[in-house]
Amino acid sequence: MKILTTVKKVVDVELNIKVNDGAIVEEGLQYVINAWDESAVEAAVQMKENHGAETTLVSVGGGDNTDVIRRCYAMGIENGIHIEDPALDKADSSIFAKVLQKVYEAGNYDLVITGKQAQDTDSGHTGILLAEYLGLPCVSNVIGIEVIDEQHISVSRAGDSGTEIVELSLPAVVTVDVSINEPRLPQMRGIMMAKKKKIEEMDLAALGTSPDEVGAGAPKSEIIEFMESEKRKGGQKFEGDAAEITAKVVQLLADEAKVL
Amino acid sequence: MSYPLNDEQLMIQAMVREFARKVVATTAAERDRTKEFPADNLKQMGELGLMGMAIPPEYGGEGADTVSYVLALSEIAYACASTAVVMSVHNSIVCESINRWGNEEQKKKYLRRLARGKVIGAFGLTEPEAGSDPSAQTTTAEKDGDVYVVNGTKRFTTTGKNSGLVIVTAKTDEAKKHHGISAFIIEKGTEGFIVGREEDKLGLRASDTTDLIFENCRVPAENLLGKEGDGFKIAMTALDSGRIGIAAQSVGVAQAAFDAAVKYAKKREQFGQKISKFQGLRWIIADMATEIEAARQLMLSAAAMKDAGKNFTAQASMAKLFASEMVNRITGKAIQMFGGYGFTKDYPVERFYRDARVFTIYEGTSEIQRLVISNHILKDKRKP
Repeated sequence: MKILTTVKKVVDVELNIKVNDGAIVEEGLQYVINAWDESAVEAAVQMKENHGAETTLVSVGGGDNTDVIRRCYAMGIENGIHIEDPALDKADSSIFAKVLQKVYEAGNYDLVITGKQAQDTDSGHTGILLAEYLGLPCVSNVIGIEVIDEQHISVSRAGDSGTEIVELSLPAVVTVDVSINEPRLPQMRGIMMAKKKKIEEMDLAALGTSPDEVGAGAPKSEIIEFMESEKRKGGQKFEGDAAEITAKVVQLLADEAKVL
Repeated sequence: MSYPLNDEQLMIQAMVREFARKVVATTAAERDRTKEFPADNLKQMGELGLMGMAIPPEYGGEGADTVSYVLALSEIAYACASTAVVMSVHNSIVCESINRWGNEEQKKKYLRRLARGKVIGAFGLTEPEAGSDPSAQTTTAEKDGDVYVVNGTKRFTTTGKNSGLVIVTAKTDEAKKHHGISAFIIEKGTEGFIVGREEDKLGLRASDTTDLIFENCRVPAENLLGKEGDGFKIAMTALDSGRIGIAAQSVGVAQAAFDAAVKYAKKREQFGQKISKFQGLRWIIADMATEIEAARQLMLSAAAMKDAGKNFTAQASMAKLFASEMVNRITGKAIQMFGGYGFTKDYPVERFYRDARVFTIYEGTSEIQRLVISNHILKDKRKP
């Protein structure tokens, strides 16, 4: 079984992100591996260990992604591809999915595992669009993968009303939630091996496509402006007699919060 | 930081930082209280490859360079100095000594187990009457056929109780003074090898420090490390590496104290403003940061010299001297910034302060480091 997994390098949203004139202030930003993609990588590595799958990772854009790809190597991924092209500067989810489609078609994969979303834009489009462009079955929000045989897998997904079990014939695309696993820390041995592995660096031409073909000339969506989210108002603190406070709180819940 | 780290070193640092802060740090305060040995941490560190970092891959280690090692050790020390000292002695002193001085059989027999953390190593040099002057030691090893009979007492042995093997120095020829000292690999369970009193210490409380008593302990002659008379040289070489490790430990604890103090200063309000807004504290913060950075550069410089195959004895001593003195100043200032809260166990800085105190003492006191450094400069080696 050949597995393609995807990784996006994203801004570390745990840190304080500042906005100035509708743009994110680049200074002081740090970049990390998208947490959902890290779970996708872990899922792929587990399938390699348990079922002998061959694992390939692809990362599109993001500038120098060497550190992220090497970390995935250290976790156990075997092959790495990085697609970088100036035409991808303003790529949206659709363009990323088109590029991934080309990577998929060049590699004859059985299964694509992506994170269900990325913590920078949280749009959650790319994996599903990729399946659409490839005409493959897709299950999103996956929290468990079991291999039935070389042609079939069973996945569990967190649905609106409970866990859904879906059997899929391969090839297929799954997008995983972070709750699917606890990604391993790379071991020293993996880190030492990772430095010896090559990363296949490609632009769109090397991938056998063009900016026009993937739609890079006219992105379907565009980020116009960033805004800082409103700061939460402070809560109210009540002190004094318990009975009086209770009455006051009930009144406020009814009159102001309008929840009673 | 200006020192250029390569991708591999940065990855190792990032991996250990994540592990240390997620796993090791969470139990550090509790283990400080209970004195529970960090066996779980060390087991996971063995699996991650942190217990045989410099051991070549053919003996089950990772073949990492010294710069990577000190970065990793600093991160562990940031989270728990007790765990770090076990890692330091095990890697810098025990694994390195066997790798450097051991014969093929010894390397095959011991290094793989040490590298996986299946066995923790200790080093017995200090004795009740032989601290800074190790040549005054009185432990003896007398050849008797195919064994050496070891008699004597070692003191302040890090991981004395929880280690699986100890490199022990003993005199095989009294007349030759320090040239008559030899080193032996002695496994736990060897008859006549007794773990003695465990010290009740100010800091590093989750790391056991014990006496080791040898009563007619019959050690196979094949466990002689190096040749007869190599023991002093083995110990001194080991300490060179160990001292870079103590510098790393100092940098890690200092950074932890500094980060805690800065976080507190940005939050604590007095006289209507955050205390970080007072110039008096801002200058202290600037001085602390500068001192930590200077120690880090000395640590990395000594490590890089070792990696380059140069003589790093003086640099290791300088790094150890400066970093260990530095961390005592930094942890003291951190408590001062915390005020009364810093004196309580509600915050970690009092633990950092206690843990750091021994750094200017073990693996060569600050005074011994000055002796090493001045001897290196003046080249007229003299008695203290």
